[in-house]
Amino acid sequence: MEKRTDSPYPRRDRPVLAAVGILLIISTALFAWSDRRHDWRWYQAEFKELVREKFGAEKSLSVPSGTQQIWVKNLGNADRCITCHQGVLWKGFETADHPFRTHPAEPLKGHPVERYGCTSCHGGQGYSIDAETAHGPVRHWEEPVLGKSLGEAYSIVDDKKALMQMNCNVCHRFDRETKGAEFINHAKKLLNQKGCRACHVVNGRGGTIGPDLTWVGDKAAEQFDMSRLSGQRTAFAWHVAHLKDPKALVADTVMPNFSFGSKDAQALAMLVMSWRHAPVPVEFRPGVARTDPQTTEEIAEEARMKSGPGAWFVKTGCFICHSISSLGVKSAAQIGPDLSTAVLDTQSRFGRTVDDFINSPTGTMQVVLSRQIILSPEEKLVAIQKLREAYAEHEKQKTAAGKGASAAAVAH
Amino acid sequence: MKLTLPFRSDEPSAPGVHPKPLWSWSPKSDREAGDAVVSNFALHWFPAKVFKPSLDWNYSFWLGTASAALLLLLTLSGLPLLLLYIPSVERAYGSVKDIEYVVTFGKWIRAVHRIGAHLMVAVVFLHLVRVFLTGAYKNGSGRGQKREWNWVIGVVMFLLTLFLSFTGYLLPWDQLAYWAITVGTNIASSIPAVGPTIRWLLLGGREIDQATLLRFYVLHCFFLPVGLGVLFAYHMWRIRKDGGLARADREALLAEKRETPAGPTKTYTLLGVARGQAPAIRAASLEAPDVSVNAVNDLVRRIAIVVLGTIAVVGMLAVFVPSPLEEPANALITPNPAKAPWYFLWLQEIVTITTVRIGKFTINGAFLGGVILPGILVFLATFWPWLDRSGAAGAGVWFPADRKKQNTVFLAICLVIVVLTVVGTFMRGPYWHFYWPWQSWPEIPSRI
Repeated sequence: MEKRTDSPYPRRDRPVLAAVGILLIISTALFAWSDRRHDWRWYQAEFKELVREKFGAEKSLSVPSGTQQIWVKNLGNADRCITCHQGVLWKGFETADHPFRTHPAEPLKGHPVERYGCTSCHGGQGYSIDAETAHGPVRHWEEPVLGKSLGEAYSIVDDKKALMQMNCNVCHRFDRETKGAEFINHAKKLLNQKGCRACHVVNGRGGTIGPDLTWVGDKAAEQFDMSRLSGQRTAFAWHVAHLKDPKALVADTVMPNFSFGSKDAQALAMLVMSWRHAPVPVEFRPGVARTDPQTTEEIAEEARMKSGPGAWFVKTGCFICHSISSLGVKSAAQIGPDLSTAVLDTQSRFGRTVDDFINSPTGTMQVVLSRQIILSPEEKLVAIQKLREAYAEHEKQKTAAGKGASAAAVAH
Repeated sequence: MKLTLPFRSDEPSAPGVHPKPLWSWSPKSDREAGDAVVSNFALHWFPAKVFKPSLDWNYSFWLGTASAALLLLLTLSGLPLLLLYIPSVERAYGSVKDIEYVVTFGKWIRAVHRIGAHLMVAVVFLHLVRVFLTGAYKNGSGRGQKREWNWVIGVVMFLLTLFLSFTGYLLPWDQLAYWAITVGTNIASSIPAVGPTIRWLLLGGREIDQATLLRFYVLHCFFLPVGLGVLFAYHMWRIRKDGGLARADREALLAEKRETPAGPTKTYTLLGVARGQAPAIRAASLEAPDVSVNAVNDLVRRIAIVVLGTIAVVGMLAVFVPSPLEEPANALITPNPAKAPWYFLWLQEIVTITTVRIGKFTINGAFLGGVILPGILVFLATFWPWLDRSGAAGAGVWFPADRKKQNTVFLAICLVIVVLTVVGTFMRGPYWHFYWPWQSWPEIPSRI
């Protein structure tokens, strides 16, 4: 190799390179540590231990480990709360400390976890797996857990856990009364008693003096004038203070002071905060009509048929396909033959009596009577009798019409 | 075993011509080994010998190498993000939340990508400042030097870096992203006549929506990195062609010509040279043993220090500096203040200053501050090598007397940009009011 003068660099640079190497090792250790240090690992170990104590080692093996989530596709929610709150669906931890406590059974009956997740009721940040960011309040996540500690921060009267009812009413807003949502029910009563709709539109109805409140829950905190608000600077606090004394927050408002107590104001604030465009599919919302609307004529016609002589055919469902003209029942579809002459038709079409046909039908009626309209033996007897009555009525009307016609001919 | 190029035959095409292998695992002759070494690109990444003063820490501060290290780091950290991020208006925000909270090391990877991007804007800018101050875009005495064109390439690469960062800004689809892009594209739309069309092209419509996200995503993940990569390769190649750093030119120009012993002419093999069987030759005084060192190890070791050091620093910062993710993008709620990305805040600051209200009339500063001024600066920066009249002695050294005037003006402009950026980033609160660092901003209200 060609001789070169001594380079000064190996001596100077090797220690630097070594230092960089050490830095790299430290940074690797740091980022591995930062990923490992989450509290949920500790909680999972703890819960496993609890299960082992209570139900034995074998059962504790069935406790899942690693991040857990409930993915509710319809709501777009991935709730990782159960990563720490592992006892939610276990029986036997009703009195355990959080986060291991069993969820009360009652609310879950109508709101199964797999269909609703956690955050759609409780609030909080389902994405997160760390207590602080999951529970909030935390910057840049506007939905803290609506639990006891937040209720204490707002000094909610009587029931510190009542804030959660705000989320109940996102779906239940068209209910007159919702079981378990005392504050919201109270507020809905106040809404009518105090005549809020005199000035405000709510759900499409009301006056125009005040702003439309139908979606006021979507109004961002930045859009409130908080300059005269003392205490917490949140939209909820603003509503509470404003309901108690509107002029104190908005000097030139014409909204009267209703002398609401703290509970009234808090309940109403929860109600208005719940009026928001939450991304909730319509099947999650009770009280929303999901039928094709009928015209008033159609409704009147159905009511008439239900109370007339053909009421049995309407109630049983025959009229969906068959008219019974002699009894004044008219089918909208008229898929099947008129049942006024069923007694004759079974003879002419199938060569059987109507009794025989009802007891062992063939063709379409066999499908209908075995799957959709299932009649007990007693009901079958009623059916046969009603068909006979219809035929008798038909015959009566025919002779009456015949007489009328001949009478008319005689008159000529 | 030999690895040959597929279109080259193993048979000699003419007497005395032998096929060159791409690589030999176990060369059978010195010639084959030499050929394999000669045709290996990886072994020729660096020159054999480097001018010693070019390696000094306090000449180049190794800012170009650090920029390249950051580009490498951004590419590497971008690859996993490419698989995790969903460029959809409905799901982008959620996928970033997932990266942040549940993907193993996701938070760290995202932080590395974000901090790396911010640092790259800063380091590339500092590299540009260094090259200007040392007049390194000036050609020396070497043949075929085109340093001025490498400077132009560098300016374009700086703009690409900014645009890469800007397009990446939108992707999390949070309030910060949405409104930064709103401010940025509104400034673009203030260009007379073509402005609205430019905005429309950038956004893929009249408002920031799915089309915008897709455009920014594709630009960010494909077109801009590929463009930057190609220019980077050319930038590096030009440095080799131009004879290394400008500092070497200076030496060649000013050093006394010294005599180099002429060796006898002889045919020799590459490995013969390496083993000392062939006579030593000195091609140029710049490669003389007392002014140069071997690239391997001295240059490679320093590059390793800079590259690995950059990676270590970014890696550690990424553990401790959390990446923000604000509320999901909402076109109906404007955060107060709405700010452009930090490297454009000096422009936003100028836009605000030059927006003058006289009674009812408002003269919008967006055109002056957002278009004319940066336009002039970019134009001047691009063509400065041809406007610069300083002598060759002004190149390759810090603060030469020859360049005093232009360096002062350049530094003054840089200072203004830096000060305005700092003011815009740290001292502008709601309604763009000025706040000293020790004054607290009004509390930002929240929902519940």
